[in-house]
Amino acid sequence: MNHVDIQPRIPEPELMYSGHLACPGCGASLAMRYALKALGKNTMVIIPACCWSIIAGPFPYSALDVPIYHTAFETAAAVASGMKAALDQLGKSDVTVMAWAGDGGTYDIGFQALSGAAERNEDFLYVCYDNEAYMNTGIQRSSSTPFGAWTTTTPENHTKERPKKDIVGILAAHRIPYLATVSVAYPEDFIRKFQKAKSIRGMKFIEILSPCPPGWKTADDQSIRISRLAVESRIFPLLEIEHGEKYTLNLEPEGISVRDYLEAQGRFKKLSEKDVEHIQKEVDRKWEALKKRIS
Amino acid sequence: MKKVMMGNHAVSYGARLSRVDVIAAYPITPQTQIVEELSELCADGKMDAKFIKVESEHSAMASCMGASAAGGRAFTATSSQGLALMHELLHFSSGGRLPIVMANVNRALGPGWNIWTEQTDSLAQRDTGWLQFYCENNQEVLDTVIMSYKIAEQLSLPVMLVLDAFILSHTYEIVDIPEQELIDSYLPPYKPEIKMDVDNPHAFGALVTPDHYFEIRYKLQETMDKAAEVARKAGEEYGELVGRPYDIVEPYMLDDADVVIVAAGTLVSNSRAVINEYREKGIKVGLLKLRMFRPFPTKRVRELLAGKKKIAVIDRNISFGATGIFYQELKAALYGHGNGAGSPNIFGFIIGLGGRDVTLEDIAEIVDYTLEKEKNEEDIIWMGLKR
Amino acid sequence: MSKKITFTSISDLPPLVVSLGTTEVNPTGSWRYLRPVYHDKTAPCIEGCPASEDIEQYMYWAARGDFDKAWEVLVEENPFPAVCGRVCYHPCESSCNRDHFDQSLGINSIERFIGDHGLDFSLDKFKLAGEREQKIAIAGAGPAGLAAAYHLRRLGYQVVVYEKEEKPGGILQYGIPRYRLPKDILAAEISRLERFGVEIKTGVQIGKDISWEEFLQHDAVFLAIGVHKSRKLNVPGEDLDGVLAGLDFLSRINKGENIQLGKKVAVIGGGNTAMDAVRTALRLGSTPAIYYRRTRAEMPAILDEIEEAEREGIPMEFLVTPVELIGENGALKAMKLQKMKLGEPDESGRRRPVPVEGSEYVVEVDNVITAIGEQGDFTSIPEKLVEWGVVKSDAFGQTEQRPVFAGGDIIEQPHTVVHAIGSGKKAAMAIHTYLNGGDIAPLTDKIRVGDKGGYSFLRFRDGHEGDPIDNREVVTFEHINTSYFTRKDRHEVPELDVGARITSFEEVKGTIDREAAMDEALRCFNCGVCNMCDNCLVFCPDVAIKRRDDRFRYEIDYAYCKGCGICVIECPRSALSLIPEGK
Repeated sequence: MNHVDIQPRIPEPELMYSGHLACPGCGASLAMRYALKALGKNTMVIIPACCWSIIAGPFPYSALDVPIYHTAFETAAAVASGMKAALDQLGKSDVTVMAWAGDGGTYDIGFQALSGAAERNEDFLYVCYDNEAYMNTGIQRSSSTPFGAWTTTTPENHTKERPKKDIVGILAAHRIPYLATVSVAYPEDFIRKFQKAKSIRGMKFIEILSPCPPGWKTADDQSIRISRLAVESRIFPLLEIEHGEKYTLNLEPEGISVRDYLEAQGRFKKLSEKDVEHIQKEVDRKWEALKKRIS
Repeated sequence: MKKVMMGNHAVSYGARLSRVDVIAAYPITPQTQIVEELSELCADGKMDAKFIKVESEHSAMASCMGASAAGGRAFTATSSQGLALMHELLHFSSGGRLPIVMANVNRALGPGWNIWTEQTDSLAQRDTGWLQFYCENNQEVLDTVIMSYKIAEQLSLPVMLVLDAFILSHTYEIVDIPEQELIDSYLPPYKPEIKMDVDNPHAFGALVTPDHYFEIRYKLQETMDKAAEVARKAGEEYGELVGRPYDIVEPYMLDDADVVIVAAGTLVSNSRAVINEYREKGIKVGLLKLRMFRPFPTKRVRELLAGKKKIAVIDRNISFGATGIFYQELKAALYGHGNGAGSPNIFGFIIGLGGRDVTLEDIAEIVDYTLEKEKNEEDIIWMGLKR
Repeated sequence: MSKKITFTSISDLPPLVVSLGTTEVNPTGSWRYLRPVYHDKTAPCIEGCPASEDIEQYMYWAARGDFDKAWEVLVEENPFPAVCGRVCYHPCESSCNRDHFDQSLGINSIERFIGDHGLDFSLDKFKLAGEREQKIAIAGAGPAGLAAAYHLRRLGYQVVVYEKEEKPGGILQYGIPRYRLPKDILAAEISRLERFGVEIKTGVQIGKDISWEEFLQHDAVFLAIGVHKSRKLNVPGEDLDGVLAGLDFLSRINKGENIQLGKKVAVIGGGNTAMDAVRTALRLGSTPAIYYRRTRAEMPAILDEIEEAEREGIPMEFLVTPVELIGENGALKAMKLQKMKLGEPDESGRRRPVPVEGSEYVVEVDNVITAIGEQGDFTSIPEKLVEWGVVKSDAFGQTEQRPVFAGGDIIEQPHTVVHAIGSGKKAAMAIHTYLNGGDIAPLTDKIRVGDKGGYSFLRFRDGHEGDPIDNREVVTFEHINTSYFTRKDRHEVPELDVGARITSFEEVKGTIDREAAMDEALRCFNCGVCNMCDNCLVFCPDVAIKRRDDRFRYEIDYAYCKGCGICVIECPRSALSLIPEGK
């Protein structure tokens, strides 16, 4: 059979190698693949302690066809600041510097350095692939872990009582030039935003909801589906915020019940009816607030 | 050109002459003027460097790491608590083989708050893989910044230079500022063999299993083993160019000395003055100035102190539960190498913690004590302690 | 694959932890315990099509605007796309998975567009083999006979079709009214076959113009003479003037005869002949009505046809049956009807109509047209081949006597055009196998399309490894990942106003335009067949899916695939399967 001309949906070149050490179905590995497709070869990646410290491969191998700097847990934003400064000094301002951290390295231990860099409006892209717990150490709660989720430090009879930290709101309050949320289930949107981030000078922050089959207690093949449910249930809106002011909602889902998202994951299996209602109410409230920001 | 300047500004000018690309620093007393001066030099365009005004010392070192990894010449300065906060990254930067240079103004650690000089902050970082140089005066401070880059970049290891709080940091002295051209010929632009490079991508610092970690650590030590010689040559070459040679250890009236003082930093100057007095009285007291502490100049120390009977080590620091740190290091260098029988008696004095003044009389007391005692009776001889 | 790096001595080691190779050294495929495989399946529409048209594939091409290619795909299985695009009862659409999502795909309307698009195309490229000497005779140039002739011709046989009527086409020519199938469309698709080398001899009836024995002289023969005798009502007065047999009535009209009907015309029956007759009567100026002994739900006619009749204002009387036709001077005047009620289901599954005692009543009628079914006329065929009013045969038309094959309405199968076409194709495959000394039976599982009796000529042709309909597993709606589809109504087919319809025999339904055909084809889920949407390629976290070197579809690099299964779940159309590793 002949075929029609292929028009690839996303850039064809691969800058991530096979053989990386991500778990099967890992959202974070897919996220990196998309990110590098969008940013291209002229990119440097800084990885603090996180799953990607392992995924990227042990010495003497690398999973990426771009330079990687593995660094200490809390330092991604600061290392990126220094690296970009040196590149500017050396006449290589066209290189995109991307800090690539998990939620632990972003919401918690790396928060100070991130806030500092954001306030200084450093010219790099900070990406948080948020799998909502310390997954690399074996699923401990972080300040990104959502209400009601099981982790090894928020065990079944005492799941997390506090809501997830609003990192997007916090970064928006820094009034950085560009802030976006992306999902691995929406690759075109994902890539467009990375490309946009690349074109903007100053601090860029992108938050990825990154499904983790072992940590979320889901089957390996469910990662895209769950990512989609998060967006469709409005738990994870796809948006862009420019200079902390201009909000754009990229997708306006009909709004399925949060139950569809929660029930798909083992980490939420101990939620009571009341808990689910509470989560729904919170999601609705935040959605309304978001809609107000947009109008 | 000669200028009267405080030690902190000598640091700043040293950095400027070294043509650093990136400075990342956070203010802390008594280092503040280093940051202020560099910040002005950058803002005024007198210095072509990016100054990142980071939100912590930890980020200062992290930023230097990033800059250095990308092939930039990176500089920072800190003190005391700030240095302690950086600790994790001192390991990271040396392990990453990044030739960062840092000035540390020796200051006591809290609590309670104490901003005055003490050596414990820097000496506590002795196991981090950084080279350490202790400076005696502001001229040496400026010169050491420049030499530090020369050494660091040859070895791919970071270098810390140390100056005493206030005694140097805030004290104005005449400092000769060498011509930039001269320094340029001494210190060529930094061109690392391997760095973060989009045209030649590598991953730096990935997971390394027990299969290889051991050997890579060995390699770092192997480099450290070469460092003394590299540093000695760097000082010699600097002397040839600028007219002020430096060595990693510097003897003073040592050859015939019956009692040898071993000290670092400004304590050396005090000791020199006291030695002069004793020599006038015909008492053979000598001095060994430790400029370089890491790597410990074991070989030179053994050569220079061979056959000496009594050595007084002056420590403005303490390793709690043990002794003064220079004292430990000196003993470790001199003992256990089959020369025990003829080895000197070593007296360990702890003095001037938290910036308490160390007077010439105090040093004289140390000399007298050492002259008087047949042999060392205790590991710590507390000087000036108000019992 | 990157090389594994080994350090033979400490001096080989770099001074710092720096990568010197890539993770491709690490064959993560060894982690896998489930293996994704590209696995084309059968779309339910294809299974639902008695002619086994590769609907999914021609939708693929139609959606891309390549109607030449779409036509070729269609004609692989069926030489009458323009005809079927008009007269088929499209069971494909009732099987369509999209029906569970919003509305089934308008397959029939697209088929019609494609058929019209290729009306003047040649069949030459479908010729699969050089000329063979073997001669095959076919009795009956209806859809079954002509379909068989087409496929046999493709295989290189010399084919002659004997048709007793003046023109070829059978039911298409003489049964179906012009307003459903304009005769120029039919003529175009038949003449295309003649240009392809199918010899059609009209006015030749087996057993009359040519003897059975002479007929049998050929290397193989295919009987497809259809059923033309209308069943009798078996009530008094059936011989009165004004009583007409449905099929005969339609045939005469199609032949151009001017039949004068009275005002009130009663059409008895609920099948397609009844619908055609009643709508034809309407167009001749009468006021016809349907009388049917069961209810609307049990009517065997295509729903479309019932609805069209209703739209044209034709009254329908249900649960009545004529018990007597009343005449005056030999001419029909009235009809006595008896009311019925539904009893227990009969062998067809429909509830049996039972007379209601004493419920008779009389209606005045000028004509009665009977359309309660047709039966075959097998007088020219050896008795042993016939049983219970049909020619005994297996699914491939093989009768008890070699080399006699049969198809169309004379064998036991639904009396539809598309079943006839399917039976002609199946017989052609069986004849070819027979003439080559083989047996079709062992092949059947290989060429089967789903479980509804359809067989693929394409698969028969060359075994078809990797063919689009390589696998017999039928995709159900549960296997469709609907996240990748948006709800969209189907394109409506243009229709003639009712007012305009009843005054002429102008075609009622129109052909959708090119844009609509493409747009409608885009609604196709492409169930079970990779259409290169890139989802698997895009969503692979392990960079283990790559475009094939020829840029057609993809391949999985099992050295690295960890078997997460995302590609399988996210395939919108179930064109991948996950199978246990090691099987």
